[in-house]
Amino acid sequence: MPEYSALTLAALAAVVLVEVVWARTGIFGSARYWITMAIVFGFQVLVDGWLTKLTAPIVQYDAAQFSGIRFPWDIPVEDFGFGFAMVTLTLVVWLRARTTEPADDVET
Amino acid sequence: MGHEQYLLLMAACVVITLPLEFVVGARVYRSPRRLLIAVLPTFVAFTLWDLAGIVRGHWTYNDRYVTGLRLGVIPVEELVFFLVIPLCGVLTFEAVGKIIRLARTPGRLRFRWPDGLVRDRADGYAETGGGRGA
Repeated sequence: MPEYSALTLAALAAVVLVEVVWARTGIFGSARYWITMAIVFGFQVLVDGWLTKLTAPIVQYDAAQFSGIRFPWDIPVEDFGFGFAMVTLTLVVWLRARTTEPADDVET
Repeated sequence: MGHEQYLLLMAACVVITLPLEFVVGARVYRSPRRLLIAVLPTFVAFTLWDLAGIVRGHWTYNDRYVTGLRLGVIPVEELVFFLVIPLCGVLTFEAVGKIIRLARTPGRLRFRWPDGLVRDRADGYAETGGGRGA
């Protein structure tokens, strides 16, 4: 498996483990989280699409280091795992760092 | 747009999400300590991943669209990315949470500085929808 693909899968597994084993915020069971991720996904397509467009790329990927699948536009699919892991980790820690009462959990 | 292109894209992300804080009324910029705690582990972990990606040749940066400023081998744009995108994620999460709470609250919806969107209750109190601790 290409290295970027493997690292992406490892990062996704690590973030899920952080939530399930340590943080236990219940984030994966909340509609609020999934709505957020749908919005984040939409904007990632725009921003990442701009960063990776093959006609004038800002970031250039070595074709041998990822799956080779670019979708949508020219975005390497691994980038969506990268973004998902990055935002999810941030949100899990954000919830954990809540200073008010525990009742103020994920809420929805 | 030349060498500032990547940075301008990041600036656009900051600008476009400002209304989430100041119109909807997410309290993210106004929780700087919590924001720092939330972003720091992500910043460190993903900067390390970026470093690995650069060193292992997974990706490179187009000199035409980056400033050329680097910390070691990492372009400053990437460091900015690992701050801005998590920030945008938290803003979105808080805005979605607030809108869900507002949708479940009765009363006339209006904007009130600095709370953002609030519900006017019949008894004259305003429900900020900010939830507990807001």
